[in-house]
Amino acid sequence: MKKNVTWILFVLCCGIFTVAGCAKKEVVKKDETPVPPAAAVTEPAPAPAPAPAPVPVAQEPVVKEEPVKATEEVQPFETIYFDFDSYVLRQDARDILAENAQWMLKNPVSKVRLEGHCDERGSDEYNLALGEKRARAASSYLLTLGVPQANVSTISYGKEKPADPGHDEAAWAKNRRVEFVIVK
Amino acid sequence: MKKVLLLALFMLMISGSISAGDEYLEVTASPDRKISLAILPPVTQGGGENREIPREVADALRFDMELTGRYTILDTSAASGAGIRPGEFDFAPWRAVGAELLLKSGYTLSGSQVILECRLYDVASGKQLLAKRFSGGMRDIRRMAHTFSDEILLFATNEKGPFTGKIAFVSKRSGNKEIYLMDYDGHHVQRITANRSINLNPDFSPSGREIIYTSYKKGNPDLYRRDLFSTAESRISAHPGINITGSWSPDGNRIALSLSRDGNAEIYVISKDGRQMTRLTRTSAINTSPSWSPDGSRIAFLSDRLGKPQIFVMNSDGSNPSRLTTSGAYNVSPAWSPKGDRILYCRQHSGGFQIHSIATDGGDDRQLTTDGSNEHPRWSPDGRFITFSSTRNGGQAIYVMRADGTGQTRVSRGGNSDSHPVWSPRW
Repeated sequence: MKKNVTWILFVLCCGIFTVAGCAKKEVVKKDETPVPPAAAVTEPAPAPAPAPAPVPVAQEPVVKEEPVKATEEVQPFETIYFDFDSYVLRQDARDILAENAQWMLKNPVSKVRLEGHCDERGSDEYNLALGEKRARAASSYLLTLGVPQANVSTISYGKEKPADPGHDEAAWAKNRRVEFVIVK
Repeated sequence: MKKVLLLALFMLMISGSISAGDEYLEVTASPDRKISLAILPPVTQGGGENREIPREVADALRFDMELTGRYTILDTSAASGAGIRPGEFDFAPWRAVGAELLLKSGYTLSGSQVILECRLYDVASGKQLLAKRFSGGMRDIRRMAHTFSDEILLFATNEKGPFTGKIAFVSKRSGNKEIYLMDYDGHHVQRITANRSINLNPDFSPSGREIIYTSYKKGNPDLYRRDLFSTAESRISAHPGINITGSWSPDGNRIALSLSRDGNAEIYVISKDGRQMTRLTRTSAINTSPSWSPDGSRIAFLSDRLGKPQIFVMNSDGSNPSRLTTSGAYNVSPAWSPKGDRILYCRQHSGGFQIHSIATDGGDDRQLTTDGSNEHPRWSPDGRFITFSSTRNGGQAIYVMRADGTGQTRVSRGGNSDSHPVWSPRW
């Protein structure tokens, strides 16, 4: 062990001399002529060349499912609305769902997508989850009214697609909703 | 045994020589006193003049150094002189204007190639502290400057800067929410997606090569993984319902995300190819926005299991969930620091969101922003800085600031609908 310590001290001393030596070399001696670039003691280590740039994409193919908007025909469905930060079906929403269910039972070939939306006040991510809950709450209620599950699908758009672009309570109330869209 | 000791000694010597520089800078500047730094635009060393290089390089260096908060940048408009190497110029004028550090650089043009040489000097002693040479094309010149800034911080603090990093973000500037990429300081904007649907929540792999994001491009909000260099892409999570807020694990092998396949949003961890999955939360509430601790052992997330959205922390196997935020009625968007000691989140105040920083034990809660509505905070990979979105100037734009909330600076331009920034690892 003692031998080791001696060794360590020796190495340490060498280290100190090396470091001191390096430091001295870097001091510019003023009476010397400027160091020619190629022979400069302080020549920097070559830095790595910049990384390649990522490839941007001009246009990707769009495989977007375009729902057939029922707006051109007579829209058979009314939209239902919710309270702030809530997915509880209010009585007015239940009444509308009952009417919508009537239409769906009379037109069983139609598949309907329930699109859940939120107002702009919450966070984007929380609203995506909340919109999903709203759509699912409506879907579950339709099931209890006898609408076959196979005819109903759900999707959440969170606050991505406001019905009213305004920033007041009147707009927000219109945006907290589930829309019914005929897909087939 | 001897080998280990020798190795340890060797390491000591290295760190000793580095902390000599550290000591120099740290002793010169107490935390409440900034070091005065003169940054000279690069001068030509051969191959002719170029007007863009001096402007862009000096701009990038100045932006980086100002953001550190460690330096007072001196006005160098009166400065001149072609000499940049030791012995080629006189330090007396710099001592006279009170500069403590001097950053000189030069460029050489050769065809389409640019060689940039940057040198940092201690004015008092005339000693060169740091010197690097870079080569590349014209489009790389800002990146060269950022690389030197990273090196200055390495020299001064023993840890590299994050200035060569990119910020991925969401922008509606084309009319639809698409994913974009830019230098962290807002330059070199590139569009990554162009599918004209809704694209959300980008996150980088630990290598920085790949991103994950949620897109509605096939109808449902599914999670995609894309190689930024080859553009190879695969859909790795496409369960019924939402597949959102993907967060890459620090080891790069797993992705935490929120799925609503069970009827409500729950946190899952999937393998990076999407083939394996483990469910972590089991509640009837909303659980979303997972963020990994840097050692991968814990996950912060958002849950409204107690009625309103709050930040929770659990082990990364789903065990021991506990509530982190105890004040504020609506807290979202957790982001665990790369150092592991703090978690950023957004709290809803009257008039919008503000960014808070809280210790991982739930103590020391600090509000970092006040102006406008501020959301989507994410750390720089070294934990020194934070990027976020803010509405303080009307539309929503990307900003950066220091971890303590000082130095808030807008970086994204050319759009007023930029959000969800995420700072890449070093490239």
